[in-house]
Amino acid sequence: MGDCPILAYALKRLVLAIVIISVAMTLLFAMIYLIPGDPAKVALGPRATPEMVESLRVRMGLDQPIWVQFWRFYSGVWRGDLGIEVLSGRPVLTVVLEQLPYTLALIAGAISWSVALGIPLGCIAAIKRGGWVDRVVGIVSVAVIAVPSFVIAIYALLIFAVSLRWLPAIGAGEPGDLGDQLLHLILPSLAVGLGWVGYIARMVRASMLEVLEASHIRTARAFGLPENQITYSYALRIAILPTVTLLGVGVGQMLSSAVFAEIVFARPGIGKLVYDSILTRNYPLVTGSVLVTTAFFVFVNVIADLVIGALDPRVRSGFG
Amino acid sequence: MGGNKQRQLSRRNLLLSAGALGSTGLFAPHIAWSQDGKILKVRSYSDLQILDPAFRLSAPEGDIMRAIYAGLATNVPGDVWDWKAVSVESLEQLDELTVAFKLRDKIGFTDGFGQMTAEDVKFSIERVANPANESPYAGDWAALKEVEVKDTLSGLIHLKNAFAPLWTSTLPTTTCSILSKAAVEAAGGKIGAQPVAQSGQYILTEWTPKQRTILRRNPDWAYEPGGYDEIQIIPIEDPATAELGFEAGDLDHTWTAVSSISRLKENPPSGGVVLEKPSLAYVWLGINKDVAPFDNPNIRRAVQHAIDTESVVEAAYFGAATTSTGIIAPGLPGHRDKVLYGYDPDKARELLAAEGATDLSVTLDILNQSERLTAAQVVQANLADVGITCEIKQNDSGTFWTLGSKDGDYWDKLQLIIGRFSMEPDPSWATAWFVPEQIGVWNWERFDSQEFADLHAQGMVETDPAKRDEIYKQAQDIMEESGCYVFLTHEVTGVLHRDTVAPGLKPNGEPLLGDFKPV
Repeated sequence: MGDCPILAYALKRLVLAIVIISVAMTLLFAMIYLIPGDPAKVALGPRATPEMVESLRVRMGLDQPIWVQFWRFYSGVWRGDLGIEVLSGRPVLTVVLEQLPYTLALIAGAISWSVALGIPLGCIAAIKRGGWVDRVVGIVSVAVIAVPSFVIAIYALLIFAVSLRWLPAIGAGEPGDLGDQLLHLILPSLAVGLGWVGYIARMVRASMLEVLEASHIRTARAFGLPENQITYSYALRIAILPTVTLLGVGVGQMLSSAVFAEIVFARPGIGKLVYDSILTRNYPLVTGSVLVTTAFFVFVNVIADLVIGALDPRVRSGFG
Repeated sequence: MGGNKQRQLSRRNLLLSAGALGSTGLFAPHIAWSQDGKILKVRSYSDLQILDPAFRLSAPEGDIMRAIYAGLATNVPGDVWDWKAVSVESLEQLDELTVAFKLRDKIGFTDGFGQMTAEDVKFSIERVANPANESPYAGDWAALKEVEVKDTLSGLIHLKNAFAPLWTSTLPTTTCSILSKAAVEAAGGKIGAQPVAQSGQYILTEWTPKQRTILRRNPDWAYEPGGYDEIQIIPIEDPATAELGFEAGDLDHTWTAVSSISRLKENPPSGGVVLEKPSLAYVWLGINKDVAPFDNPNIRRAVQHAIDTESVVEAAYFGAATTSTGIIAPGLPGHRDKVLYGYDPDKARELLAAEGATDLSVTLDILNQSERLTAAQVVQANLADVGITCEIKQNDSGTFWTLGSKDGDYWDKLQLIIGRFSMEPDPSWATAWFVPEQIGVWNWERFDSQEFADLHAQGMVETDPAKRDEIYKQAQDIMEESGCYVFLTHEVTGVLHRDTVAPGLKPNGEPLLGDFKPV
């Protein structure tokens, strides 16, 4: 491993990731038990007798001391068993994995929007520094950052789905029909990703301005290389690095925005699953889905760090 | 360089694809599929979790089960609470304690479980009623003695005592869905989200969790067929989202938010029809009589006089709902014409002054829902008008539904609460939660009247509608006399459907999926 600093770095990050997930789960476990509310009573509704509520509490393991519940959950996780969703009797992992792809698709769509629009806008603003294009991009960027994603979601829905009827308003599309699923993804992913267009445009502009003044770019100009090649092949390659970090961190923000998008567009997804299960005090589902979400977030950040390392020799040299 | 070129090309491809997709949308506006009578898209407010009639968790599950499991009877769509036969050729009350049934001879179960028999009826009913099975719906069959099988298709339902709700909130409900005994036993006695041996007008062919449930016409159903080849049930919790989905052409039928009814009636979406249906639910302001200052009956009475229920309901429901006079909705036995202690702020001030209650501060707990919050704010203003400071405490549903529980630690701090219960079309459903045994369970006002409990018990066995009417009126008088209740409204249900759809609805607007027809 001494010969392969990137592998050592990856292993370090992996250990750190496990620690982060463990701490997050401990905090989550403590938090959900501080929230008032009896999951058995909420689940069974007004017609249940106290005996039935008690019986469900026993089945859910809620009659056990908290440390026993905690240990059961933790030991289960390491065996790949997130428990059973008591009401439907389905494994929590199955329920979570059914929803996860919808959220991953939503976030991938949002990242696509933010990269596809944010990077060109940032580049153009940097190249046209001080001009009207730069000013317009600046204003638009700040505006889309400032507007909450649920507001964007509602307006997008009203304009493109209700008024124009160009795009569907609700759902995730016909299962097995990729085209229909992509159509259903356009508005929600735009709602989640539009704010990030602004962030990325600002970030790329600032980085580009810095890089365009760097000595190796001046040297390239002195050699008479075409300006487009200098901008997009040399400057952007360096300027884009902070964007990768930003997106890594941004996935967490997008996951929370996904909750709104999933509610507004009535999409299935893990954000909505967490939200619903908190409301119904469905503890196994809350812990299971948050565990998977946390793991996903940490994983994305590890990948982002490794990608930066792969792209930037300066970072790579620091691995050892 | 090659790598860069590849990335540029990919990005361009991505943009092109996005543009192409957008263009596709331009040329493919959404179509209301219900127009050709093939596919009906309806919204339900929650996804299914269990397809077991004995353990159902929500009304939408009940709607699905009515369609896929043939029950003995079901409600008739329309404005009057009535029932019609489903799996029976005849269903007849022989005397107060005996109901005879004869099954239709062409009702079969899917998956090779054969014909529906009287043995299946016995199994299904006794499965719900048996206390050992712990069904939350056991109370629907509280009076059941046994089901006697006469022959393959006939039998007798024997009751221990007369049971007034039998024909209103037991026989026509999902509780009376008939399951295949062999299929349930083969499944180990438990039914989850996948149905066992279906027998109704429709069969469930697909369930994509949180996304949709698909019912298709049962090809083996030999009687009046369902109106559509396929019904797609789409779970959407937020009614505003569902309204937008309807306006965008993605739904053919949905409930609306109460606050949207006026707007939708004034300006209905293109091709949409807006209906207002009276709800059976009841909303009230509850006053916990065991917690100071409301342990003083005159303070409770002052609150009853302080609340302008007209204003509360007008503000909270945008003029769509009317005030109520009790917990039993119009059209049911026991509905009262008027309240005993109405809005009279002068009287409220007088009572407070007589008790020396000059500087009262109280709390009002509510569910964090917009109608409830608006109602609470008007209550707060009404109380301020008579000199009572009221703090509103909003709770999420998980917290709210445990506030008054005797097992919790808040019941002795709970002062005022805005409650809402839904019910079946029998008055016993309304009174059941306010008897002394329910104190600290669902009776959070801790209203304690043996006379009320006796009347509730009497109403359960009295089958003469006129006498029941008197019993339940008297019961509500006792509730109001206690000073624990300010009755607010029965709400209203808003329904939005395509003009190409004739919706099958119960009188309170709940869907009967088997009765939806294309126009």
